[in-house]
Amino acid sequence: MVDSKHQWKAWIYLLPALVLILVFTVWPIINTVRLAFLENYNMMTALKGAKFNINFNNFIKVVQYPGFKSCLLNTVLLCILTVPISTVLALLIAVALNSIKGLQKFLQTVFFLPYVTNSIAIGMVFAAMFNMVGNAYGTQNEIIVTAGIINNIIEFFGGTRVNWINVGSSYLANMTVMVIYIVWNALPFKILILLGGLQSINKQYYDAAKIDGTRKGRILTRITVPLLSPMLAYVIITGFIGGFKEYTSIVGIFGEKLGPADDAGRLNTMVGYIYDSLAGKHQGRASAAALILFGIILVVTLINLRVSKKRVHY
Amino acid sequence: MKKRIFKAVAATVLAMTMLFGACGNNSGSGNADPTAAPTQGTVADPGKQDPAPAAKSLAETANFQVPAGGYDGKDVTITFYHTMGSSLSAVLDLYIAEFNKLYPNIHVVWEQVGSYNDVRDQISTELTVGNEPNIAYCYPDHVALYNLAGAVAQLDALIDSKETVAHADGTSEILGLTDEQKNDFISGYYAEGRSFGDGYMYTLPFSKSTEVLYYNKTFFDKNGLEVPKTWDDLKTLCQKILTIDPNCIPLGYDSEANWFITMCEQYGSPYTSASGSHYLFNNDQNKAFMKTFRDWYQNGLITTQTIYGAYTSGLFVADSGMKSYMSIGSSAGATHQRPTANADGSYPFEVGIATIPQVNASSPKVISQGPSVCIFNKDNKQEVIASWLFVKYLTTCVDFQAEFSMTSGYVPVLKSVGSNEAYAAFLAKADGGAYISALSAKVCLEQESAYYVSPAFNGSSTARDQVGSLFVTCLTKDGDADKIINDAFKKAVDECEYSE
Amino acid sequence: MADEKDVMRARDISQVSAKQRVGKVLFHILVYAFLIIMALIILFPFYWMIISSMKTYEEYIRSVPTLWPHEINVIANYSNAFSQASLSRLFLNTLYVGVVSTLLSLVITVLSAFAFARLEFKGKNALFAALLATMMIPGELFTITNYQTVTVFGWMNTYTVLIVPFLVSVFYIYLLRQNFLQIPNELYLAAKVDGTSDIKYLWKVMIPLSLPTLISITILKMMGAWNSYIWPRLVTKDDHSLITNGLRNAFTANDGTTNYPVQMAAVAIVSFPLFLVFVFLRKYIMKGVSRSGIKG
Repeated sequence: MVDSKHQWKAWIYLLPALVLILVFTVWPIINTVRLAFLENYNMMTALKGAKFNINFNNFIKVVQYPGFKSCLLNTVLLCILTVPISTVLALLIAVALNSIKGLQKFLQTVFFLPYVTNSIAIGMVFAAMFNMVGNAYGTQNEIIVTAGIINNIIEFFGGTRVNWINVGSSYLANMTVMVIYIVWNALPFKILILLGGLQSINKQYYDAAKIDGTRKGRILTRITVPLLSPMLAYVIITGFIGGFKEYTSIVGIFGEKLGPADDAGRLNTMVGYIYDSLAGKHQGRASAAALILFGIILVVTLINLRVSKKRVHY
Repeated sequence: MKKRIFKAVAATVLAMTMLFGACGNNSGSGNADPTAAPTQGTVADPGKQDPAPAAKSLAETANFQVPAGGYDGKDVTITFYHTMGSSLSAVLDLYIAEFNKLYPNIHVVWEQVGSYNDVRDQISTELTVGNEPNIAYCYPDHVALYNLAGAVAQLDALIDSKETVAHADGTSEILGLTDEQKNDFISGYYAEGRSFGDGYMYTLPFSKSTEVLYYNKTFFDKNGLEVPKTWDDLKTLCQKILTIDPNCIPLGYDSEANWFITMCEQYGSPYTSASGSHYLFNNDQNKAFMKTFRDWYQNGLITTQTIYGAYTSGLFVADSGMKSYMSIGSSAGATHQRPTANADGSYPFEVGIATIPQVNASSPKVISQGPSVCIFNKDNKQEVIASWLFVKYLTTCVDFQAEFSMTSGYVPVLKSVGSNEAYAAFLAKADGGAYISALSAKVCLEQESAYYVSPAFNGSSTARDQVGSLFVTCLTKDGDADKIINDAFKKAVDECEYSE
Repeated sequence: MADEKDVMRARDISQVSAKQRVGKVLFHILVYAFLIIMALIILFPFYWMIISSMKTYEEYIRSVPTLWPHEINVIANYSNAFSQASLSRLFLNTLYVGVVSTLLSLVITVLSAFAFARLEFKGKNALFAALLATMMIPGELFTITNYQTVTVFGWMNTYTVLIVPFLVSVFYIYLLRQNFLQIPNELYLAAKVDGTSDIKYLWKVMIPLSLPTLISITILKMMGAWNSYIWPRLVTKDDHSLITNGLRNAFTANDGTTNYPVQMAAVAIVSFPLFLVFVFLRKYIMKGVSRSGIKG
């Protein structure tokens, strides 16, 4: 298959993309790698002509960070929880949307709406939904002004309210909110992609299955999922990559403190650490942390690709 | 254009020499190290005889030196980054026009750059290629950051300059500040410019705010309550309020970090230091007041914004349900501490404003907030001089300070603004309803001698964040109080030292 | 006559499988219930944006958020939003940047995806893996280096600087490649035998077949222009600013707090055209692409 004419052509097709990537992606990466090995590199002192030793100290410093373990744990947990949940939900919604006739147009529009809702609004609404307003929790003087919309719903159905994100809330409650928020955020994009994929599946397969009297669940697992596997692979792999870079969603719910007010930084992630170091004066540390994160994502993606190679049908 | 870019590239790629120290300053030592002791300057210049050698040497060793002849009057464009809303930039435009009557060749271009942090982030990126503005709104920790690159002009030589500068209308002024002008600045605000540990002056105060105590005057009058002068008064008062209205939180405090830092200042116990070991706040005095506040919180006397989960001003102005009767917050946010007007324009209750409670009521201490301005050093010395002339104009122009303050709710940085006709008329209208901003400004001006500034260094903002979190943890966490407080203080110091 | 027969037959079937029919109705009810609940959850923030844009600031900052504004302040908020941010200029800038970068980006993406999906060349897999790897480094780290690069290029405060650095997205190349891979190779080989050129094949076969994906990319790319904030703020001044810059900056009150109701009103105003674009494009996204006779 490989002939020289093809080779030449392929590179021509790739040329514009490669040139831009070299300039705006590869070059910054090279720069990042360089900074990661310059001890305590700082943009400002560098401007003034400071010299930096070349060694691994930035990496050591990152690992020594008291919150490093929890950053890593949060990052991994969020990833392995949100990617499967959001993918399965998006798949179910896309399949359901594809199967109905009445209201289909309307509902499709609804599921696109989040795209035109500004991210500022989304963060604020989630924080407001889970936010409890009150004082002196857990003492005899406890006061609750409002338990938040979600707690109102829970109490309406006879449950007990949960302190989701406020002072004194548990890690479990915090994580639950984060998972819900991140899944919500990820849904529209995944629905869009999967629905696009579903629309391209040949109706004949379903007709054939109908004649055979195949059950719905079986149609989903035996026909839809395999035929959709390239798109599923795409949303899962990019979902993992995005999941490992989770940060802004945490700011959206918890603000810059990245945790409930009495335990700031509890939900910090790797990218949160990188952000903090960048905004401060530790560009060297930020670069080192980025490379560590890169290593982790790379391993996970390679595993993903290996699995998808076996499972994806083209 | 191309040449400029090339120069910028050279500066970036090489990044070898100091950006500005090398540009013809005759101290020769390239002394832009912000941590250098001020005495070094004296050594560099032993020949001079002067009654005040330290001050003199600062002016002579500052990283910006006024060239012979001072301002040359040629066309120059200067940029100014700020965070003003549209009504304030309208005031700014008005006074740029006034300024241009004196200096028609200085073209001022301003840019509204989001929030204070946005200004910092943008400038630190722009510094890497030499695109930074001439003048910027700043907080002390921003300046400490820019100083790592030696980018901010030390103002001492400019302040002391006696060069005459001619105006377009035939009048003239001296380039530096006259003694009158210096003394007209509210001293606590002016002192902020020298809070960087090396004695040099880096910033001029632009417009300021502080924290004040808002109280429900109608409620206080009705129940014969007195405005608290000390924290002890406050505790008794809160307990009394709780007996009158058991379903309330007597006091809401907006900012935990401000509360902590102000308590350190009031007790005279260490918080941070600009030089040497920076983080000094882990001490017994500070732990003691945290324990007291923990007790108050657990007894339902107080709350803060992050603990409460909503704006404490919202709690203060609430017309139904949970209420508070006192609120400590920014003096610039007075209009948010006023309840929504009734249909006839009257207010459900009258708001009173007072100085916040003190440890020692005879020597009050209140925090000073709000933006200052700094000037960036440039290859073209005339840009720096033009920037200085503009900054000097805005910060010393009584009319501007008066109008800006009336529009913004911030307080002017000059004492003499109080006698400005328009501003005096504004203050005279002060009341706890329609003219609440004037009332707030009045209280701020009356406590003029009480302003303190915290040391500014690289990491001062981390310390601030950490003590804010520490405050919340100490108040709310379940368990043994002493252990919680000890652990929280230790964690805060560890975090500060890690990000060193 | 024929109709009657059909009805009869239908009746027969219905009697035989009454149970199945009940099951089918129940299943449909379940599907609708599921979709409607999800739709409500999805819609809530949108609803929040709209009601927030109608509240007064005082109501907005209340401890207990209201689900419907007590005092409707629509006119004041929306007219403030219009007057405070010079929306029309920002809007045109954003539209221009959005359209140009989407078009160019589509061309680049299609060419690259085609090369990865259909052409064989040495190191293809390695190159593709390397491209994927570039997505794994947090983009924030690139900002400073890229800022220095565009300064060297002299692109500051131009449209170029808003468009060019973000033309290539590995995400999109990957997405389109996945789609292209689904199109059977037999078609391509047949086209080759017929002597059809690659470009013609791309244009006539590949692009129509992957239209839904291309439209998805268009939407995502346009949204990118709508939401980008940090980069435009860094590299442009007033006359080239984009819409989010205007939205974030225009509603800062003088004491540094944001007037959220007015900001929300502005967000709603700028969202509206996008919403229209969606309603319009939905038809195309959903138009099933027929590919009869070939393995899917």
